[in-house]
Amino acid sequence: MSSSTSLGRRASALGPGLALLCVLLALIAFLSVTLGSRSIGLPEVLSALGSMDADASFNSTVTLELRVPRTLIGILAGAALGVAGAILQGVTRNPLADTGIMGINSGAAVCVVFAITVLGVRGAGVYVWFAFAGAIAALVLVYAIASLGREGATPVKLALAGAAVTAGLASVTTGVVMTNVDALNELRFWQVGSLAGRYAPILAGVAPFLILGLIASLAFGRTLNGLALGEDLARGLGQHVTRTRVAAFVVVAVLAGAATAACGPIVFVGLVVPHVARFLCGPDYRWILPYSMLLSPIVLLLADVLGRVVVAPDELQVGVVLGVLGAPAFVAIVRYGRMSEA
Amino acid sequence: MRAWRPILAFAALSVVLAGCGSAETGGNAAGTGTAAASAAPAGPWQFTDGSGKVVKADKTPTRIIAHAGEAAALMSFGLKPVGIYADESVKTDANLKDLDLTGIEILGEEWGKIDVEKAAALRPDLIVGDWWPAEKAYSGLEEGADEKSKKLTELAPIVGVAQGKSIVALAKGYEDLAKSLGAKVDAPEIVAHKKRFEEAVTAFKEAVAAKPGLTAAAMLPADDKLYVANPEYAPELLDFQNWGLKVINPDSPDPGFPYWENLSWENADKYQPDLVLYDGRSYKPTSNDEWGKKQPTWFKVKAAKAGAVVSWPAYWLHTYEDFATELESLTAAVKAADENIGD
Repeated sequence: MSSSTSLGRRASALGPGLALLCVLLALIAFLSVTLGSRSIGLPEVLSALGSMDADASFNSTVTLELRVPRTLIGILAGAALGVAGAILQGVTRNPLADTGIMGINSGAAVCVVFAITVLGVRGAGVYVWFAFAGAIAALVLVYAIASLGREGATPVKLALAGAAVTAGLASVTTGVVMTNVDALNELRFWQVGSLAGRYAPILAGVAPFLILGLIASLAFGRTLNGLALGEDLARGLGQHVTRTRVAAFVVVAVLAGAATAACGPIVFVGLVVPHVARFLCGPDYRWILPYSMLLSPIVLLLADVLGRVVVAPDELQVGVVLGVLGAPAFVAIVRYGRMSEA
Repeated sequence: MRAWRPILAFAALSVVLAGCGSAETGGNAAGTGTAAASAAPAGPWQFTDGSGKVVKADKTPTRIIAHAGEAAALMSFGLKPVGIYADESVKTDANLKDLDLTGIEILGEEWGKIDVEKAAALRPDLIVGDWWPAEKAYSGLEEGADEKSKKLTELAPIVGVAQGKSIVALAKGYEDLAKSLGAKVDAPEIVAHKKRFEEAVTAFKEAVAAKPGLTAAAMLPADDKLYVANPEYAPELLDFQNWGLKVINPDSPDPGFPYWENLSWENADKYQPDLVLYDGRSYKPTSNDEWGKKQPTWFKVKAAKAGAVVSWPAYWLHTYEDFATELESLTAAVKAADENIGD
């Protein structure tokens, strides 16, 4: 089933590996606070962090009110997207499943557009709730469509239903946005996916959901291992397949909905990182989930830092950087045959 | 890196294109001129337009279809078009929202989409749209517009005044076009509009001259970055510079879309003008404070913090009256500004 058996790691190596990733994440987070489209000397960054006084100087404002919240959102949203991707791939047994394909991003986008155009709502703090509602509604819709017919929600039907719903919702969004200047202005930025302009109020709005979702997600390791053997075997092992699926989808909707509300639809992280995690740990979801949770924010923050430095004093949105870096990375994974069946 | 630019440029372009003339500000003092509703001279007629082309007709055109702002310009001289195509709803278009459009067929309210069938039924004998020298195209028919919409030009000859370096020149161009079409440009109402404009310019010049140290920058705050307008591509900003206002020229405009320099919010303090000219298409009286709350570094632009912010009629002006109204509000802002704030 998987080419990674030969690469299977013993748990004794995977534990320290996790610790190493933690150190790496801390390092990148530090870079994300010290590097940016404005060059601020290291001593100045450190003294701002030490004093915690954002009004002391322009550079302290940038450090404490722009870079720190941006970094924290990057860590949380990155972790959420990686884990959500890993769970989706496991629960649908589809190596290509990610939040984009399952209709979650487009569901969130449609609801945000609705909020802007029909309800006249403004501000990312409020979009969170609409993005949530949209994410959950889209997932329910996809699952309901896929469940039609005798054999229920098979992986293939889930993917097809997801693709169809995504296409339908995306065309609604485009149609509305193209005829409404206000919505276009608000959304053109939100649609690419970015960590810029995401500050403390947004962080406070999404953090509780992301943290709860991340904790809950770690409980799925065993059940996903069972599901990977196929539905019948999982049932034979005493698992409630439907109950597991529903619980997993709720957690994914919370994670992806909150992350999408905060940063816009960021692609590739949720798709590619679980494959990298699987390559490192083998097929055991008890390891894949925490590895995805640490690898994703590393990738996301790295891309964001890159986008901030390469075109300074301008910035590139992280969604653009990830698109450019993510595509070749994915090709490489496929090319070297490491893409195991989830 | 170059390759990524078009993505950003497209995003920014969509703002400008879609917004060519949306605004909450910039009231139209008057417009539906009745004074000069005229019997067109019999002809033959000819006009040299902004592209340099000479358009001739045996009879002076009377059934005109015009793009939004151009229609407003013709109407300010008492010429009522039979049809209008706009880039957004005529209820929100800065040039049209205060005009009485009864009896005029609306042929489109979205950029690039014109109902040519409806237009043909109007049997037009002239189409009027600004000529954009950089794009070598007329308003609403630029690259990217529907191919079907472009068939509009098959119905009648199209003419337009060149968009370029000055709104005064643009308004004058439409005055000349209106005159050639038989408008009585010396009617008292029209003369009064022009006089009001000239007085507004004089008042503006005087206010600016009284504050020799005053600098201004044209800006647009957005979620992800702060845009600083490049006067080179904003005719009204060039007019302001001509009249003595020191509008800052950003030193590194986006090469792919040179209308703006893009600053990340980390670099929001790069320019420190004494007066912020805020893009009028999205300006509301509450905008400045909202951005101050939302973006930790917007109020690091000292003029913004001090509330020295005024709406700037970005990229839409066509008529003397509109320009006069905008200038009056700008003159008041210049008078109220502190020329030492940004230093």
